[in-house]
Order: sequence, then C-alpha cells, then structure tokens
Amino acid sequence: MFKKLIDKSAAKSPWIYHINTGSCNGCDIELVACLTPRYDAERFGFKLAGTPRHADIVVISGPVTSQSKERLIRTIAQVPEPKCVVTVGSCPQSGNVFKGSYSVEAPVEQYVHVDVAVAGCTPKPEAIMEGLYKAALLLEKKREAMHK
Amino acid sequence: MFTTQTLWNFFYVLIFPGALFTAVVGLFLAGIDRKVIAHMQHRIGPPIRQPMYDFFKLMGKETIVPARANKIVFLGAPVVGFISLAVIMLFIPIMGFTAFSGNADLIVILYLITIGGVALIVGGSSSGSPYAGIGISREMVTMMSYELPFVLVLLAVARKVGGDSLVFSMEAIAEWQAVNGSLAFHWSMIPAALAMLLVIPAEVGMQPFDVAEAETEICEGPLIEYSGAALGMFKLNTAMKMAIMTGLFTSLFFGGFRTGMMWSDVALFVIICMVVTLVCITTIHAVTARLKIEHLFKFFWTFVSGLALASLILAWMGL
Amino acid sequence: MMQHYPVLAVMLLFLAAFLVEIFGSKIAAIRNLITFAASTTALVLIYALIPAVMLRGEIISYWMGNWAPVSGYAIGIGYEIDALSLFFALLVVTTFWLSGIYSFGYMKKDHHLGHYYTLYLMLSGSVLGLVMTGDIFNMFVMVEIMTFASVALTAFRNESEGALEAGFKYLVIGSVGSSFTLAGIALLYGECHTLNMAQLSAILSGGLTKNSMMAMGLIIAGFGVKSYIVPFHTPAADAYAVAPTSVSMIFSGMVNKAGVYGMIRMVYIVFRAMDQSSVQMLLAVFGAVTMFVGVTMALTQHEFKRLLAFHSISQIGYVITAISLGSALGLTGGLFHALNHTLFKGLLFLAAGAVLYATGTTNLDKLGGLSKRMPHTTICFLVGAAAISGLPPFNGFASKWIVYQAVYTNAVESGNFLYVIITVTALIVSVMTLASFVKVTQAVFFGQLREEHKEVKEVPAIMLVPMYIMAALCICGGVFYNVVNTYLLAPASAAALNVTNYIDKMMGEGYADAAGVVNILAKPVEFSFWNPIMWLVLFGVVMAAAVLVIVFGENSRGKVLVPTENADPKYATFFSGEEEMFSQVGGSDLFWGFKKNWQGYYKVMQGLHSGIVTDYTTMTVVATAIIVLCCFVFMR
Repeated sequence: MFKKLIDKSAAKSPWIYHINTGSCNGCDIELVACLTPRYDAERFGFKLAGTPRHADIVVISGPVTSQSKERLIRTIAQVPEPKCVVTVGSCPQSGNVFKGSYSVEAPVEQYVHVDVAVAGCTPKPEAIMEGLYKAALLLEKKREAMHK
Repeated sequence: MFTTQTLWNFFYVLIFPGALFTAVVGLFLAGIDRKVIAHMQHRIGPPIRQPMYDFFKLMGKETIVPARANKIVFLGAPVVGFISLAVIMLFIPIMGFTAFSGNADLIVILYLITIGGVALIVGGSSSGSPYAGIGISREMVTMMSYELPFVLVLLAVARKVGGDSLVFSMEAIAEWQAVNGSLAFHWSMIPAALAMLLVIPAEVGMQPFDVAEAETEICEGPLIEYSGAALGMFKLNTAMKMAIMTGLFTSLFFGGFRTGMMWSDVALFVIICMVVTLVCITTIHAVTARLKIEHLFKFFWTFVSGLALASLILAWMGL
Repeated sequence: MMQHYPVLAVMLLFLAAFLVEIFGSKIAAIRNLITFAASTTALVLIYALIPAVMLRGEIISYWMGNWAPVSGYAIGIGYEIDALSLFFALLVVTTFWLSGIYSFGYMKKDHHLGHYYTLYLMLSGSVLGLVMTGDIFNMFVMVEIMTFASVALTAFRNESEGALEAGFKYLVIGSVGSSFTLAGIALLYGECHTLNMAQLSAILSGGLTKNSMMAMGLIIAGFGVKSYIVPFHTPAADAYAVAPTSVSMIFSGMVNKAGVYGMIRMVYIVFRAMDQSSVQMLLAVFGAVTMFVGVTMALTQHEFKRLLAFHSISQIGYVITAISLGSALGLTGGLFHALNHTLFKGLLFLAAGAVLYATGTTNLDKLGGLSKRMPHTTICFLVGAAAISGLPPFNGFASKWIVYQAVYTNAVESGNFLYVIITVTALIVSVMTLASFVKVTQAVFFGQLREEHKEVKEVPAIMLVPMYIMAALCICGGVFYNVVNTYLLAPASAAALNVTNYIDKMMGEGYADAAGVVNILAKPVEFSFWNPIMWLVLFGVVMAAAVLVIVFGENSRGKVLVPTENADPKYATFFSGEEEMFSQVGGSDLFWGFKKNWQGYYKVMQGLHSGIVTDYTTMTVVATAIIVLCCFVFMR
C-alpha cells in the first residue's frame, strides 16, 4: 500500500556517505561546497550521514591507495540496499596523475560497482550535484527493481 | 468489554492525539525546523515534508542486524520507544481537550519520556559498537543533566497551580490557566519557562546538546549500527519527542487559551508548538556549536537548574 | 489450629538447620531434600495465613507454653501476627524459598555445603521469627542469630579475597548495632517492667519520658544498622559483594527488610512517635541521604555485586523516606517499595550470580557481550533493571510514584521546603539508578564478547526458574498494583496505624481503652494513578500492527537481514572501515562526563569509605549519638 510512496521517497531523501581513498582533498572540499548556501544540495534532501549504515549514496574520492582498498570494500558492503556508488573526480576512474604509482590501485571499478562517475580534477560543484542527483533517481529505480 | 469508551480509547491511542497525530505533528515540526534553519543560513532548504520522505525511504531500506548485536533487543528497542512516546500525548491537554486524565500525569510523562531515551540507549548498547558505547554514555549523562531542571520546573508549576494541595494533574493545570491566565504571563514562572526552553533541545537531542549523536565525531553514537526501518523508527521517535516536548511546554505555560472550538484549539496548539520549536530548537541550533559533555552537565546543573529553582522558590513564597 | 502455623514455621526451620548438619553434611540429596522440605513447608504455612490475616483482618496471637498474661502483665514470650508482620513474613518466605532453589544449582561447585545450608536455614528462621514475634527481647535474640548467621555466610567462601575482611566488618558493626538495640531494650524494660510490645505500646501511650526517648533513639540506630541506612551502610557493600549470590539475595531481600520492619514496628507501634514532625524529619533526612549516597557510590563501582549492594542501600533509602512521613500514603508507598525491592533486587542479584557462575568473574571491566551467550539471563536482568529504575509498567514505577506523591503531599501540607528537596532528590536518584544500570547492561551483557568467554553457556534451568518467577512478579506488581494494594499493602499499613487491635488481641479486650490508647492516624487511602491496562492494550495493538506489516508488507517494506555467517563484512560492526577488533567500552569509565563534575564529592566519599573498621565504628557511634540527640532535643 505504501510501495509507491516509499519508492518515490527513495529519490527524495538520498543520504551521502563520503569515503576519501587518498584524495588530495580537492574533490572533498568541492563536495562540501555543494552543501553551502550557494549550491544548497539539501533542497533535494541530500544530507551527510555519519555512518555507512545510514547511507544511500556512497561518494568515493581519491585514487584508491593500497591501504584504503580493503577498507573501501568493507565499508561499501556495510551500506544497506538499495545503494548507489558515485565517484567524484578523475582519480577513482583512472588514477589521474597518480597513475602508475606502486601504491595506487585505481580504477575503482575493479573492486566495486560504480553507478555514476563524475569526472574532472576537480569537478565543479554543479557537476557533482548533477551526478548526485542522477544517483538519487537511480535509487528509485533500484528500489523498484528490488520489490517487483 | 467492547463499549463505546473502549473504541474511543483506541481512537485516542492510535489516531488522535496518540500515535498518528504525534508523529505527523512531530515530522511537521522537524520539517519546519530544517526549512527555517536553511533560510536562516540563506539557503532554500528541503521541503517541509522532507522528514516524511526520510522516514518512508528508511522504511524501504534493508535493516541489517550486525553480527555482534542481540537481535531481539536491537530490533525491539525502537518499537518500545515508539510505544511509550505514542501514549504521552494522551496526557497532555491540547488546550481544552485531554484524552486521559489522571492525578499523576506529570510523573507519568516524565517517566514515559525517559523510556524513549532508554530505548535509544539499550538499542545502541546492544549493537556492540564501541562508538555506540561512547554514545550511550553521553546520552545517559545528558539525561541526568536535564532531568534535574525538568523536575524542578514541573514541581514549580505544580506548586504554583496547586497551592496548598497536591496537583500533579495536567488537566488541572490547564483548567487553572484557563481561569487565571497562562503561566507564562505570571512573572514568577518566567525563569521556569526559560529553563524549560533550554531543556527541550537537550531532550530532543538538538545542537548544542546533541553530544550523544555527534555525527562528525562518534558517527551518530547509539544509532551507528541502525539501518532501514529500525533507524526510521528512531528518527520518528526523535520527531515525536519534539512534538511532545513543545506540546508539554505549550500546555504548561500557554495552556490558558481557549477558542471554544475543538479544531481551532488544535490548530492554535500546533501553532504555539511551532513557535516554541522555532525559538528553542531552531534558533539555538543555528547560532551554537556542540558542547562538551562535562560542560553540558555543568550548564544544566548550575545555570538551568538555578533558573528553575528560582521559580520553585518564588512559587513557594506564594508569588 | 491457625495460631500454631507461625511458630511451627520458625521451629521447623531451626530444626531443619540441625538436621542438615547431622544427616546432610555428606550427601547432597538428603541435604537438599531437608532444606527444600523445610523451606517449602514454611512457605505454605505462612501463605496459609493470608486469608485470615490479610482478607478478614484477624490478628493471630500465640503464647509460648501458653504463658498468657496474668493480671495485665505479660510474662511469657508471645507471637503476634498482624498484617504488618505477615506482609514482611511473606517477603521473607518468598525470598528464602527462591534463594534455596537457586542455591541447589548455584552452590554446587562449593565445599562444606552442610554448613552452608545450616546457616541458611538458621538465617531464614531467625528473620522469620523476628518479623512475627510480639516480644521485644525475643526480637533481639532473633536479631543476634540473624547477625551471626549473616556473618558466617558472608565469610562462607573464605578462600576468596576479602571474604574474611567483609565478615569481620559485618561482625563488628553488626555487634555495635545489636548492643544499641539491647541497651534500648534494657532502658525500656527498666521503665515499663515488661518486654511485650503490645503492653509496651499501651504503657508508653501516656507520653514518652526522657528515658524512653533515649531508648527510642538507640533502637532506631540499632535497626538502622540492620537496614544499612547511611552512615551504617559500610559493612553492607563488602558483605553483599563477597557473599555467595544466593546469600546476597537473602541479605537484600529479607535481612535489611528485617531492619525496616523493626523500625516500623518500634516507631509506629511501640513508641507511636510518628505524629511528631521531628521524628519524621529525622528519618526523612536519613532516608534521603541514604538514597543519594547509595546511588552516587553505585555509579562509580566496577564490581557487579558491589554495585548492586550500593543500590540496595539506595533503595532502602526510599523505603525509609516513605515510612518516615507518618501518613498512610507514605506507609503504603514504603511497604510497596520494600516488597518491590525484594523482588527486583533479588532478581538482579540472581542475574549477577548467573554471570559469576558462568564466567567466574563479576568485574565489569572484564565482561562484555554476554547477551548472545546468555539470552535468558539478559532478559531477566533487563526486566530487573527497568523495574529498579522505575520505568513503567514495572513494579518499581508504581511504588516510586507513591513515594513521590507521599513526600510531595507532605511538603505542600506542612509547607516544609525540606520535603521538596527530598522529592527532587528521590526523582534524581531514580535517574542515576537508571544510569548505573545502563552501565552494567553495557559492560556485562552488551558490547563485545571476550575471547575467554566464547564458550560460556547459559546457566542451568534450576537457576533460571527463580529468575523468571521474580521477573514475572516484577511485571505483575506493576500492572496489577491495585490487587497488591488491596490484599497486601492496605491491610499492612492499616495494621501499623491502628494500634488498639494489636494491643487488645495480645493483652485481652479492653486493655487498650483502659490504658487510654487511641488510634492516632487515619485509615489508609485508596490510590490510583494511571491505567496500565490501557498501556497493555496499546502494546497489543502495536504488536499486532507489527505482525501485519511483517506478514503483508513484504512488497513495500525493506527486508530485515540477520547475519548467517560471521565472516560477511556486511554484518560486521562499523570500525571506520577497519577490520573488526576487540574494543569494549567497559564499565569503569562510562560516565566520566558526570564524574568529572563531581570530583570534589567523590573525594570526600572516598575518604569516608576508608575500609578501616575503626573508622566505620566511629561513624556508627557518631550517627547514633546524633539520632539520640535529635530524639532528646526536638521531641515533645
């Protein structure tokens, strides 16, 4: 009876959990910039969650260092379904300027399923917002698919 | 057994002013809070119905019981908290209307609200996370902190209304205010009202008193391992606490207004609740940062308790 | 026939004590059989008195050897069971019966059990005799037997650390208390030339002389030592902590209740001093201090049973405060809380004992995560903890509520601000009680299981049965508080307030009138607060709704996932991405935010609880001096 309402709500209240896998902090501050008055991601219901158990969208930034790989996989496993994974910046996709380093294990697609990738070094907040919004719409689809 | 009265009681408990009403008003107040704070920060902010979206979204997510947790306690705690919070509104007069009236309402309310906090503590504790361990410690100390001024406020009101007889009944307090004017307009009760305004954010767990659920330092404390429907219940409980505490404030200090009609009474009640929320939750939230737990305790046991005690002494002097 | 039951019950327990020593010191089956038979018979005999005493309001009197009073003077030893006596007798028999059953499982690993059951039966018999006797010297004898059986039982596990020390402290302070009682009794005997309590009451009704005031102060102090009110509480913490848990339960369930009973009996019936506001305030202040000191000390304990011991002290503070008010409501609340304390504290001690039995330790810093291994114990403990913290709908809520109401009524009626402070103290102490049980819950039952406790098993059924019985009683007492009031509390408080019947039954019709005794205080009040049935209805409704959601909501609702294999990281606790490791937030540093603000207070308390017996004795004597002085200076 509430199925429709719940499906709709899935897109309206995406909570974000942010994982930094060795990022230079550039993408991180841009992500935080999305929440500032200028961009105000909260108007779409975005909220930063403190723990992966509360999250709907996992945001990954950074080129996945060897130290962080295990922790990344473990943390993403702890997020309850339906969930989306969004990468911010070029690093998680390709390794960017860190590519070839002995301690960098990008791209992240090898380890976790990525739904939305926002490229750029660093991407503009507008781009991040759009990526997150797409992920939010995807959440609704995933939720519908889960409860056919 | 199934008389009309029983059916009415079911109505009271489940719909109005029990579970459904409290939940809707609570979520509405939470939405107002988020919207107004956004405007204060020059943002657009989420729609007012955002807490409802959050709640329904959480209902649709998986609920993961961690391997360390005790399943029954972990899943049962939010439900127990919900039940106890759902009945509190029955004891609070909505202007002229009280669903249940006993002669011990104040104490019953005090303890039922405590159960809401205990449910959070026990649930968080049962999840087995060390973050939750720190969280429940802080939650419990917060509880001890605000309980003293809360008790003093209630006793001050009881003395002011009762005089030389014992009055612990909310209905009697509301009636007294209808005759003698709302307590907020009696100058001896103003310190108590101020103390109560500071107790509300601590009870609801809002900044600067949200040490227990500090999401940036201890990952939301007791809630860390909760997900899905169980988390949704806890979020609902917090919203309901907001409705209950502001409602309690309204009927303790602004209970004197009567419009004569049931629906306008309820509307007035909700509006005053909203104003109280804006004053004591939103504004304080917007302008303060989180306290440390030992400072929080000190603040409540000295400053806030002092205010409440001043009222109590004034009431005992017959003022 | 009925008048023989009480004395039979007491004699039977003492007889069984010797039989156990003679026949049962080698063979467990005989020992257990004798113990079980004796305690069950005593239980049945006492419960058989309920219809007559509680429902029909009769008073049962029995003269040993039929030495009835001659020309208005009572020479022989008389047993007199009014509703007040029976109320406490019921507590006593229930406690030792359940403790006995628990002992059969719990004490199995110990040696010299013949001695244990002998002492256990002696203790049971003496407390039962104490609450039923009508003779003040007989009461003293029972107090002495009780004290020495308690001392021996405290030090029963004398191979363990601190047992002998605790026994020694108990012995010294207990003897000091007993001597005060004896001195008081001697003074009374010198003045009134009788030891029968009914006759004493009649003689003293003319007004208290300085001599009898002194006697009263000494006797209050004497029974204060037995009920461990602050500052007489010092031996209690050690004794409760090191005694076998079944004995700790007896201590908190009936031994300190015996002290409370003695105090009610003396102050309400023998001296009839409760209409004096000075006595009320004296006891109220002692009660408030007791509950506050008890709970603040409990908050800092690291040891499960010692923590419970301090809570025992604190809860007795509630009882003393309530009975100090001299009103029917206060007496009802005090008796109700005494009853409830017996139930929930017994339950908590049994849970502590179960933890000790299963893991071999009660140190809060060395436990954790037991709820997955011991689910039944956890449930029982949570019920007990909720009850002692006074959460509705458990019994602790009902009785604490009556206590608050009684104290605050006294405050508004007398206009005395002191009682407001006491009300606030009582409410705050309740929250602190909750806090310290949150600490225990977190440190023992929740959190992470230690490596060395991975193989821990739930305790045997014979230990679970008493726990479940008590848990059920805790819930029933809160939900059906009206039944408890009608059948137990109202008759008992009426008995304490209406003295003439008590005197007449013992000394012959018309004796009270001839001595000019009038019932000072009114008959007990009815009380009602809220309707817990409604709460249960709601609970049922929500549960039904939850079931409906689970059954029919599969399409829309998210799933509840329960871990199947522990290796799956999805079910691992969140450690900021790290692998799970051992990190348990233990008991000792859970409330540092609170303790930091109370450093000064705790420094003083640490100084007072020095552990040196001479200090404790000095405290006892000083407090007694204060009580006696108060009686002298302020009483009319």
